[in-house]
Amino acid sequence: MKHETFLKDVAIGIGVVLLLALLFQVITDPGIHDLIIKTCIFGLFALSLNLLVGYLGLVAFGHATGFATGAYVFGLLMQTGTWTIPAAMGVAVVAAAALAAVIGAFCIRAREIYFAFLTLAFQMILYSAIISFVSLTGGDQGLMGGYPKPPFLGIDLSRPFDYYLFVCGVTVICVILLRQVIQSPFGYALRMIRDNHERSYFLGIQVKLYQWIAFVIASALAAVSGVMMSLFVTGAFPNFAYWSMSAEPLFMILLGGMQTFLGPLLGAFILQLLNDLVTEHTRYYGLVLGLVILFFILGLRRGLLDVVWDKVSDRRRKAGTVRPASPVTGDAEARERS
Amino acid sequence: MLKLENVHKAFGGVIAVDHVTLDFAPGSLSAIIGPNGAGKTTLFNLISGRIKPDGGRVVLDGEDIAGVHATEIVRRGIGRAFQVASIFPTLTVSEALTGAVLSHRRRTLTLAGRFHRSGLDERVSEIMTLTGLEAQADTLSANLSHGDQKLLDIALAIALEPKLLLLDEPTAGMGPDERWLMIERVQALWRTGGMTLIFIEHDMDIVFKIAQTIRVLKYGAVLAEGPPAAIRENPEVIEAYLGAPAEETAS
Amino acid sequence: MDLAALGDCLGTSSCLIFQTVGGLKIGLLMFLVASGLTLIFGVLGVINFAHGSFYMLGAYLAWQTMALTDNFYLAVLAAALGVGLFGVLFERGFMSRVYRGDVLVQILLCYAFILILDDLVIIVWGEEFLSSLGIPDAFHRPPLFVGGAIVPVFHLFIIGFSTLVAVALWLFMTRTKWGKITRAAEQNPLMVSALGINTSLLFAGIFALGSLLAGLGGALAASERSISSGMGFSVVLESFIVTVIGGMGSIGGAFVAALLIGMTRSFGAIGFPLFTDGLMFVLMCLVLVLRPQGLMGRSGG
Repeated sequence: MKHETFLKDVAIGIGVVLLLALLFQVITDPGIHDLIIKTCIFGLFALSLNLLVGYLGLVAFGHATGFATGAYVFGLLMQTGTWTIPAAMGVAVVAAAALAAVIGAFCIRAREIYFAFLTLAFQMILYSAIISFVSLTGGDQGLMGGYPKPPFLGIDLSRPFDYYLFVCGVTVICVILLRQVIQSPFGYALRMIRDNHERSYFLGIQVKLYQWIAFVIASALAAVSGVMMSLFVTGAFPNFAYWSMSAEPLFMILLGGMQTFLGPLLGAFILQLLNDLVTEHTRYYGLVLGLVILFFILGLRRGLLDVVWDKVSDRRRKAGTVRPASPVTGDAEARERS
Repeated sequence: MLKLENVHKAFGGVIAVDHVTLDFAPGSLSAIIGPNGAGKTTLFNLISGRIKPDGGRVVLDGEDIAGVHATEIVRRGIGRAFQVASIFPTLTVSEALTGAVLSHRRRTLTLAGRFHRSGLDERVSEIMTLTGLEAQADTLSANLSHGDQKLLDIALAIALEPKLLLLDEPTAGMGPDERWLMIERVQALWRTGGMTLIFIEHDMDIVFKIAQTIRVLKYGAVLAEGPPAAIRENPEVIEAYLGAPAEETAS
Repeated sequence: MDLAALGDCLGTSSCLIFQTVGGLKIGLLMFLVASGLTLIFGVLGVINFAHGSFYMLGAYLAWQTMALTDNFYLAVLAAALGVGLFGVLFERGFMSRVYRGDVLVQILLCYAFILILDDLVIIVWGEEFLSSLGIPDAFHRPPLFVGGAIVPVFHLFIIGFSTLVAVALWLFMTRTKWGKITRAAEQNPLMVSALGINTSLLFAGIFALGSLLAGLGGALAASERSISSGMGFSVVLESFIVTVIGGMGSIGGAFVAALLIGMTRSFGAIGFPLFTDGLMFVLMCLVLVLRPQGLMGRSGG
């Protein structure tokens, strides 16, 4: 919004990266490192989706299209052995954005649940293409055999610490960029569209154009997380494009809270933690996860950070220092009041 | 400034607007009245581009805008407010108006974070002062009183600095005192803004007091038009509409 | 891609008839499941994303009944009724709480049920694939030869039975009071409740019918396919595509679209063996571009 806010974000971002770097040195358990890496990857994935779900009110159910495109394009380029990591990453993100531009042009016409399932259908096209074109993608085996990770700018991603820091750094940069978008005039327009798209038309906002741009931005950021995931597994797998890959970030958003900017990141962390804990004790992970989801949507009815936020603002409201609610609410309850 | 020439619209077999020809002078303040279902709101929808006419021309400053998309019509200077206040529930008053002003300045495609704030806050508070919403600047739109929501709806349209403002029943759902307060505000906005204003209204006292010209619609067609005095005397109008004012004003 | 093989097939009557019968069977089975999805969407405005799991449940219930009674017809009946009942419980207990919620919550509720049901069937019936029900004894007879093509009698039974269900559904929608109410509810749900019709009962009934159709489809399909956890997902997506092509909420559209997809699959398997799924999607994209409301859908939906 204001220049100072951006500088503050950058300062906090640098602080967070330094802190995470320190954490790596203090805690040497690779399990914890992996947890943080996956939280970053899926956190960014969920945050980018929340640009659509929380700030625009568009429930996209095919967000893994961007993720998988990023991972596969990056993996395929790296397997040629001639690409540098930044260049391959750039091409992967642009490819995902271009694909999203085409898919978005189809899907944006549709409303609500129809939109959700159309995006999913397009994702499943990608999935069946990945499965079918075995000679290129390795089919259901995925991109096997690994690829070289040539060092760049003194960063060698084959070293665990470098990779860890790379993921943390890229995630923080993307999160700051996303925050800029949300707080820009464009972000204002998105929230207006979410609240009342009909009125937005009559304020001169070309609703579909804005939805399309946001769709492309979100997909490009999803591709960044896909690239980081590809680096994590040194390859790419068809399950990156499977439908559950799009359902999980939706749950992360609900779990962490969509009213709060970093809620989806928290959701990603909790889901990752839950995954680690549950798979240790039972093979029925789906059953447990399903019950947890039911608890959240029928019991708690909101994300964790949303609950915390409401508690805090409740107290501050009683003290008379804060306005009635968050300006960035995306829940149905708020919309029903209209 | 706005001319409707033979504008026609039917939904299925039902004729909503029946070959209407009307002319609105620049800077005028006119009212559209008529029984429920007379096609008043449909007329607004046709002018503002919410729906396309089946036939005829909607001419704004010499250009036919019939069938032009709503957002483009907004850009050409037609603003509107709705019968049921159409606002942004989770934005505060000042946030919503900031968005509207940004849109008017064509800044809403700016992604780079920094606002071009020059005069933005000033303009927003100016609009809030004009509409009497300054005390509610930080109130969430959803938490506003009914009257303030209607005001915000109008304020959003004002933010676009329209040449022509369409108000669909600005006093709908208000008590008598609140109505007069509202209509005085509207009148003041029209005086200071130098715009052309067309409003739909059921309250005959209000209509006859402030409108320069009155158009009476019935079954989608123009029954009569003229200054208040002439309309009051028009036997057709008396028979068709004013003859049973009690039910209409009550609704 | 093997267009020569496709050309050859279209040129020989035996291959043409064989593939057509196959396409009809696939298409009509798909119609059974998809009509349930589209019916629920038409009236309730929600897409039951767990519809495929209901299909799976139908297959398992049929298998279980078969194991107990060794009666194919009873197995199909039990599956249809069992899943219909499950649908009512699902609607009353869970789905009805989120009609007013947003799309996100509806999707996640269904997602939760997919996960839970997929694991529950493993807990009850084990992780191993169950073998197909097999076809009833009455159909253990030599296939018919039509124009040189082998036509299994059981396939004719499936085609005939599914067509019968389609006709019954059509009669129900057009000739009965509840069918008319259902169609009215698709047009204008507010009006229906204003007429004093118990919408809760209507919604539960529609969900029961939609689920029953999924269970029926699952049971019939299980006669020839193996049964496993997760078998439902591709089905819900296919049903959705059928719904998109036919037009949201249009049963007639679903019928046409399902047959179209059945044929595409059957003949596509010869011409584009690796890309039969892809063909289905291409068909969907074509419809979206040329006729966004679907073949028989109302515009603006």
